[in-house]
Amino acid sequence: MDGTAGAPYLGIRHLTKRFGQFTALDDVSLDVYAREFVVFLGPSGCGKTTLLRAIAGLDIQTAGTIHQGGRDVSALPPAERDFGIVFQSYALFPNLTVDANVGYGLVSRGKPKAEVRARVAELLALVGLPDAGPKYPAQLSGGQQQRVALARALAISPGLLLLDEPLSALDARVRQHLRQELRDLQRKLGITTIMVTHDQEEALALADRIVVMNHGVIDQVGTPTEIYRTPASPFVADFVGTMNFLDASVSGPGIVAVGGRRFRVDELNGLTPGTAALVCIRPEDVKTRNVEPGAENALEVEVRSLEFLGSFARARLAASDGAGPDLVADLSINLLRDLKVEAGTCFLVSLPADRLRIYPKTP
Amino acid sequence: MTTTTAPLIRPKASRDDLIMRACLALFALWLLVVVALPLWTLLSKSFQDQSGAFIGLSNYLRYVETPALFQSFWNSLFVAAVTTAIVVPLAFVYAYALTRSCMRLKPVFQGLALIPILAPSLLPAISLIYLFGNQGLLKGWLFGQPVYGAVGIITAQVFYCFPHAMMILVTALSMADQRLYESADALGASRLRVFLTVTLPGVKYGLISTAFVIFTLVITDFGIAKVVGGRFNVLATDIYKQVIGQQNFEMGAVVGVILLVPALLSFAVDRMVARRQVAQLSARAVPFEPKPHKTRDLALTAFCLVIGLTILGVFAVSVWASFITFWPYNLTLTLKNYAFGDFDPLGWGVYLNSLIMASATAVFGTAIVFTGAYLVEKSKGFGFGRGAVHLLAMIPLAVPGLVLGLSYIFFFNMRGNPLGVLYGTMALLVINTIAHFYTVSHLTALTALKQLDAEFEAVSASLKVPVWRTFFRITVPICLPAILDVAIYLFVNAMTTVSAVIFLYSSETKPAALAIVNMDESGFTAGAAGMATVIVATSATVKLAQLGLSRLLSRTQAWRKR
Repeated sequence: MDGTAGAPYLGIRHLTKRFGQFTALDDVSLDVYAREFVVFLGPSGCGKTTLLRAIAGLDIQTAGTIHQGGRDVSALPPAERDFGIVFQSYALFPNLTVDANVGYGLVSRGKPKAEVRARVAELLALVGLPDAGPKYPAQLSGGQQQRVALARALAISPGLLLLDEPLSALDARVRQHLRQELRDLQRKLGITTIMVTHDQEEALALADRIVVMNHGVIDQVGTPTEIYRTPASPFVADFVGTMNFLDASVSGPGIVAVGGRRFRVDELNGLTPGTAALVCIRPEDVKTRNVEPGAENALEVEVRSLEFLGSFARARLAASDGAGPDLVADLSINLLRDLKVEAGTCFLVSLPADRLRIYPKTP
Repeated sequence: MTTTTAPLIRPKASRDDLIMRACLALFALWLLVVVALPLWTLLSKSFQDQSGAFIGLSNYLRYVETPALFQSFWNSLFVAAVTTAIVVPLAFVYAYALTRSCMRLKPVFQGLALIPILAPSLLPAISLIYLFGNQGLLKGWLFGQPVYGAVGIITAQVFYCFPHAMMILVTALSMADQRLYESADALGASRLRVFLTVTLPGVKYGLISTAFVIFTLVITDFGIAKVVGGRFNVLATDIYKQVIGQQNFEMGAVVGVILLVPALLSFAVDRMVARRQVAQLSARAVPFEPKPHKTRDLALTAFCLVIGLTILGVFAVSVWASFITFWPYNLTLTLKNYAFGDFDPLGWGVYLNSLIMASATAVFGTAIVFTGAYLVEKSKGFGFGRGAVHLLAMIPLAVPGLVLGLSYIFFFNMRGNPLGVLYGTMALLVINTIAHFYTVSHLTALTALKQLDAEFEAVSASLKVPVWRTFFRITVPICLPAILDVAIYLFVNAMTTVSAVIFLYSSETKPAALAIVNMDESGFTAGAAGMATVIVATSATVKLAQLGLSRLLSRTQAWRKR
């Protein structure tokens, strides 16, 4: 999706939200473009839900502005904004049938009955529940309830769809299935969507762009690949996927020292020689096959332990000479078989220079 | 921290917000008029002389210096302390049997213990007179001592207070974590040790709370002391004598303020206890399931049987006596005691009054209470208004009925008060009764509302549905069982209450419970027993109807099925 051109659909400028002494959002600015699927990702308490609720007008920010579709909505109550919302609890009305739930917003707009009925049927078909109409929410499974909540939010054809952890109350299998459906539906309708989640896998699978948040500020905004490949901070690197963090210092142009060893890195991230740094590499980026002795960034390691994870195994490795560093690397099942790797085995690995990321070390 | 100077945002209130805030303000005003202002008038009256001039603490000094008055202060404390000391252990064992044993027929025992709630407090007192009074059947049991006085008051209070104590203790005892008991067992603790180190600490707060509630109930109850008090004066009868008998309103106000003290104290303790109780049971706790234990279960069954049958017996005496021609000499059955026209100018009219008052209290009270609780719980912003309404709604719990009734005399009779037109009307009786029983109703409604999904209103707003529509279409239907609870609670209490309305009724609006007081005063004890029986029958019918209705709700409303 190349949506990030032209005027943004949603413009958030210098948003700050305080609850008494606590600052939940600290000067947050963000643009969301039309038809985009944006995911707010972060640990609990990072401010992602606060930001979503500010966009909805449910908890209006202390300072800063929000423009939606060219209109200043900063101070407007929810009823005067244009959005549909699905909550983690779904908040389906238990005493109304699925039909009445989905049609709830339509009926009160005085639409003729036949029109409401047709629209409700259309929406239920859209979310894959064409026959659920006469049932009550309690008679549906969690995943079905989630779809009804989605249909209800979409009923009034909002310009913006807000999803607050919509999948987190479901079990893993249903979650994966619904994730895909949600993505397809969003593409099909082309509705600008913002979702809040603490599940990085979900964010990587769904988002056009991910907004990683921590302590009330945005750490990084980018496509899933950007976020995964080039995390902007150790926090992002740690929160999204698994990462090796090695204590290091910059010893020269393109060279870092880890323990007693020197490694070449492509990108020094603007650090000058002598500074303390963190060098990072993903477990799957550690090169484990065909490493010749004396190759660049090669070192001999001993397998400390193996954790079998199905299609691959995660290995805890330690430099054979005891001079560090310790590493976690993903070993394919093929490799295990070919090299007869087991705890105690020694072999050569290398840390490819283009896969090493380096960050200033903050105490 | 923020370096840019982004504009501060003043949220714009939606139409819904404005409507809800206006309603909240109205509510604050209503509670101010029916609770706070009357109490304030009472308080200021106690510092005034008969001409209305401020005289500081003189009234209080005179009160302490008049032995006849001050004696009843000690009498009240004595009666309340002894009753509490008797009721709490009895109710504890009873509640323990209901929650921690494998006794059979638990619902029956629970029902037996709850009988006294259906009747005015006068009823056990009337029964005592039939049993131990001058013509009592079992007069000899008292070795010539008269039942009138402390003995009579305490005995009747024990019956009247028992269900209140039992209910609190059942709640406290049912909050137990099975895992604690299993750990104690695994560590080889003896039964006694488990009881002392696990059971008792777990219900400590419940016990404290019960003791204070019972103490307050006894001190503030008027009916029992009026019927079997004889010459033994207590605060509650003093207030009546000062105001109705001697027209000494200032001294009445002083006694009223003194009556407020134990009630306020108990209220404060209860709040404190409630706050500590929160952490008692975590969401992870495993509910306690008693295991059978033959001797214990048998002993507890025997205990409950004795207590339950005694309660039933005491109530049956009044019912029986109301059908007796001439107690105790001519025990043939008759209906003449139900010809209330012979004892009271209004005859059955008092019962009609009670029905009107109870129905109006239930209908209007429930509507008001539920709407008020909704506003407190669901409106956004305007924290001051919400806090004020909630605080005002909590006050009635700490105000004895007599004190509230007396305050109403002062407030609604005040010169220049336009609301004075209400004085002596049925409307004022209804308003007073709603105010009197406001807190428990408010808390019941609030609990039900807190169980709703917090996002219903947010979803409605996003769908552009006005808040009142969601209130009637979603909130009210879901909360119907709680609404029914509140309505029945208000109805039964309005049927049985004596204390607050005793200062407010007129000859045309006299309710049945007060007719009992009057009949008893004029020596028509059989008529009084008959009227009490009619009230019990009415309350019991309403309670049974509630049971049936809530069954019907869960059967006819498909969505309530899980």
